[in-house]
Amino acid sequence: MAVCVAVIGKDNSPLYIGGIGNDTSTDNELSRQWLVHTALDALEERLATTNSNNATASANAARTDLRDLYLGLLYSTDTHKIYGYVTNTKIKLVLVTSSTSPSGSNIRDAEVRTALRRLHALYADAICNPFHLPGDQIISQKFDRQVKSLMVNNV
Amino acid sequence: MADDIVFELLHSEIINYALEPKSTNGSKEVDLSVVEYIGFAAGYKIMERLTREWPRFKDELDTMKFICTDFWTCIYKKQIDNLRTNHQGVYVLQDNAFRFLTNFSNGHQYLEYAPRYVAYTCGLIRGGLANLCINSIVTAEVQSMPSCKFHIHVQRT
Repeated sequence: MAVCVAVIGKDNSPLYIGGIGNDTSTDNELSRQWLVHTALDALEERLATTNSNNATASANAARTDLRDLYLGLLYSTDTHKIYGYVTNTKIKLVLVTSSTSPSGSNIRDAEVRTALRRLHALYADAICNPFHLPGDQIISQKFDRQVKSLMVNNV
Repeated sequence: MADDIVFELLHSEIINYALEPKSTNGSKEVDLSVVEYIGFAAGYKIMERLTREWPRFKDELDTMKFICTDFWTCIYKKQIDNLRTNHQGVYVLQDNAFRFLTNFSNGHQYLEYAPRYVAYTCGLIRGGLANLCINSIVTAEVQSMPSCKFHIHVQRT
């Protein structure tokens, strides 16, 4: 199941990091930040290859795949799997799932893709909040609640 | 249509409100920066929503095509009629029947007031591009209403 969800801004500043579960390695803010932070390098590497491949005009099928906003599994550790998604506006969405829990070992790619797309929809709603300034942390409790229910129900 | 006219009326009232002579300084200079900023904020926020179902943009020109088609359709119910570029960061978008101008003029009458009605849109384009990580300066040019040209100068660092 999903243990942590993060929204990272254009300049790699954390806009929102939320997590659930009683797993000791993810129940505090610091370890969540650490988990997400380790994913950023992999994310940027993935983006860089996307751009260079487009420049050299690689095979058509490959290109359509690379233009997908969902970047798939970034990498996995012994205990967690980290998935990434980058919007057109360079906002990075990261989802961390636990691979040790009984349901965690057989997470399908399509499920994670759906969850991240729904997270993107929630984010688009959250920044239309007139009390939110672009680039600031998202402190809306409504967004927090919706993300937590997404994590419980979707993945 | 009723829902369209509400947006147009709100837009023209915002302009009237922004141009209301301030009693404090008493200057007669027309200050449209407020209207431009409202456009910027709206463009910035709407872009996140509009590009949600869109694949990643290949390059700058691809982004501009998006502005001309989907972005414009969403706001003005029509597409840009002509897009030109020098491939060095200057883009000219021409709209032959700009929605905010079609209502009140067809020719040269009220031409001196036209800049007020394009400021919001300049901000809208600038805000949308800023959210897509393209810094730009957007200016507008109205020669004969209701057609209007928007010049986008992309600022490269």
